[in-house]
Amino acid sequence: MPSGLSIQDFVIFSPVILLTIWGLLSLIFDLTLLAGQDPTTRNRALGMWTLAGLVGSLVLSQFLSYKFMGPSAGTDPQIFFGSLNGGVLFIQFTSLVILFAVLITCLSMVWNFTSHWGEYYAMLIWSSVSMILLIAAEDLLTLFLALETMTICLYLMTAMEKSKQRSAEAGLKYFVYGSVSSALFLFGISLVYGMTGTLSIAEIGHILSSTEKPGLTGNVVGGVAVLMILVGFGFKVSAVPFHQWAPDVYEGAPTPVSAWLASGSKLASLVAMVKVMGGGLGSWASTNSPTSPGWVGLLALISAATMTYGNFAALGQTNLKRLLAYSSIAHAGYMLVGVIAVGLSTEPEEAAAALFFYLVVYGLTTIAGFALAAWIDRDRGTEEVEDLNGLARRHPYIGVAVCILMLSMIGIPPTAGFFGKLYMFMEALNVGGTDKVTMVGLVALGLFNSVVSAFYYIRILKAMFFRESDRADLKPMGPEIALPLGLGAVLTLFFGFNSSILLSDMESVSRSGLHFTQRSVNPDGYNVPAPGVVKPAALKEVAKPAPVTKPAPAAKSSATTTKPATPAKPATGVPAAAPKS
Amino acid sequence: MTQQIPLTWFLYFASASFAIGLMGVLMRRNAIGVLMAIEIMLNAANVNFVAFWRYGTAPAGEGPLTGVMMALFVVTIAAAEVAVGVGLILLCYRRWRSADVEEFDGLSG
Amino acid sequence: MIQALFIALSAFGLLMALGTVFAKNLVHAGLYLVAFFFIVACQFVMLEAEFMAAIQVLIYIGAVAVLLMFGIMLTRNIQGDDTTIVTKQWRLLGIGAAGSVLIVLVLAINSYEPWTALAVRPEFPVKQSTTTPRGQAIISMTPAVGREMMTRYVVPFELAGLLLTAALVGAVVLAQYDNADEAEALAESSKQSATTS
Repeated sequence: MPSGLSIQDFVIFSPVILLTIWGLLSLIFDLTLLAGQDPTTRNRALGMWTLAGLVGSLVLSQFLSYKFMGPSAGTDPQIFFGSLNGGVLFIQFTSLVILFAVLITCLSMVWNFTSHWGEYYAMLIWSSVSMILLIAAEDLLTLFLALETMTICLYLMTAMEKSKQRSAEAGLKYFVYGSVSSALFLFGISLVYGMTGTLSIAEIGHILSSTEKPGLTGNVVGGVAVLMILVGFGFKVSAVPFHQWAPDVYEGAPTPVSAWLASGSKLASLVAMVKVMGGGLGSWASTNSPTSPGWVGLLALISAATMTYGNFAALGQTNLKRLLAYSSIAHAGYMLVGVIAVGLSTEPEEAAAALFFYLVVYGLTTIAGFALAAWIDRDRGTEEVEDLNGLARRHPYIGVAVCILMLSMIGIPPTAGFFGKLYMFMEALNVGGTDKVTMVGLVALGLFNSVVSAFYYIRILKAMFFRESDRADLKPMGPEIALPLGLGAVLTLFFGFNSSILLSDMESVSRSGLHFTQRSVNPDGYNVPAPGVVKPAALKEVAKPAPVTKPAPAAKSSATTTKPATPAKPATGVPAAAPKS
Repeated sequence: MTQQIPLTWFLYFASASFAIGLMGVLMRRNAIGVLMAIEIMLNAANVNFVAFWRYGTAPAGEGPLTGVMMALFVVTIAAAEVAVGVGLILLCYRRWRSADVEEFDGLSG
Repeated sequence: MIQALFIALSAFGLLMALGTVFAKNLVHAGLYLVAFFFIVACQFVMLEAEFMAAIQVLIYIGAVAVLLMFGIMLTRNIQGDDTTIVTKQWRLLGIGAAGSVLIVLVLAINSYEPWTALAVRPEFPVKQSTTTPRGQAIISMTPAVGREMMTRYVVPFELAGLLLTAALVGAVVLAQYDNADEAEALAESSKQSATTS
């Protein structure tokens, strides 16, 4: 058993600790200093307080990344006895989640949808903490716990608009669907635990790929486990058979919370999905026999259904938030193509990087889209597409920003949305063998769907640019709405023209932070484990380095799980904690 | 003394309770009934975890209590989930005077 | 002997689970649920995880079931208990889905050789001094759980604390009665019903 915690772990972990305490303090401030104030003052004060905490934590995590991680840090260390990733992946995604949370905090300060501001901001901070932990989790226990904490915070935030009936209804619907799917997910995990005897994702990957018969052929238990785990993730990313909650919840939740569901929750769940499906269950992605296609076949069906359904259902929507909800379902379908590419590609790290690129861009644009909804929601109390009529004529800059965002959502160059789709679909097409047919079909469907999606995104633009409105103009949006909207548009353009910056960043994240089981393609094109994998000697090379806090295991004969004797020390990176004996 | 019960028996019990829980989720209209069914499903998973822990052999480097710890944390999660669930149900009950899931149809599905 | 005991207990537990699902009266369902929880605790004892059994009784029966009872009491209304079960088609669907899940799971378990072969659990020397960490964990689970919580599972432990705090705070917020909000929401709902009828 590894002994002792390194102080280093806590240093790397400090942004998250800071955030957690900050949430508690916001509760206390609401009850002490701000007691008896009117809701608007409390919202302002606590929003500013939350922003300060988030920005402080962001600065801290960037400082840590500057201090500890060089440009090529090698493989990420694991902290806290291997339960969390403590390297590039952790730091980068921490910054990203916090950035999203900053934008959501701005949106929350727009108007008073609840009077429980202390609790609301505490939930916002804690849900971002659990998203960070969900992304960084290296074992299924931490992952499941973080997933539950995240969703419980989100149920509560959804139901917090107590003056509206629809908010309570959305909260309960979200809760019922969410807890059923996590119960299924848990049962799936228990089966995987039964097959491998461990909950560590990397270890599961090694054990599953080093049996004589990797893959799902003839393995009904594995199939059931995969199915249940996919239900869990499918719910979290609102993929099609499990999507029913999404439109209702997005419409019923307060607008900032809907934006948070569409961006942060989706980002965290998809990164976790890539880790579990690509890393842990990677050897079950595709099997040697075409009749039992592994989880890739299943996910391909889900993905095709998701994007088609999302786009066609969005065509008929008149409510802006519902429209964005269906668009979010459709985008989940595209993202699942990226997950499939991770499962099949011979270079899963690159496929994952393309998916992460798409996730970041989608998160930014969707927050900006919900910012638009928040604007009309604040002044008119509704969020119909009609309410957008004539806005672009009165506010030309906003018109241009929304135009950029919608083009990015459709995927038209030179916006980042185009490059996101391009990279992800290119990775999907790089897959060889018989799976190529599936992938070409999926990509073709994805392109067709992008064309379909153009119709409803352009409807928003049409309302803004070409329709007249006889209603009174909206009040100026103020910095709280302008920041998410403007930042979304600017970054979408920026990453469109400089897509390589974000892509190479995401690539370094996925190269150092994700552990995929070694795969190679045999002449028939099916993925089989590399010939050497089953041999203990070769396994040593592909095995991940020992977590820094673990003492180097003594040379044992049972080489199947033995890790390299020296923990791989990042070139400029974290000094490995000396094993305490 | 307890050596004679095969692992699969525990798994059958867990699977059967899981299926019953799923049935409850599909059949109950009352939100509290759904909540109870979800608890049954979580318990089924817990039996699985503890059974696999006791019968399985952990790979090297694994702690001595993995399955039990997972079950322990699941109990925590279940407790938190029930608290939140009952809170939500009360909130909806005050709005609709009913805990029937199908009554809550303000949002067009 | 022990096998017969297991079968009897399990059958009773499954009956209780069925009762939870089918009982018309929700209070009865809650009581069946308590019995089911207790049977699960018995299963933990048979798996030599007495600590888990104690936790099961304390938290599930002591807290979760009581909380559910409170929920039932607070939402009991004039509609009575007839509406707790859905129509016949849904009932058939539910039974069909559950039956197929059960069949698939049993087939899966039966087809997986490493599990079907495990009729005997690994044994550990009973003496404290000679046994492995795992044996020790079985002999005295409480200290082992404490040690694990403070070392290997320290992050999940803290996260569980956060989860419980969030749930506590959130449940209080939701269940709290705010006069102004309540009035506004009820006005909204009466407006809605006026427009629909």
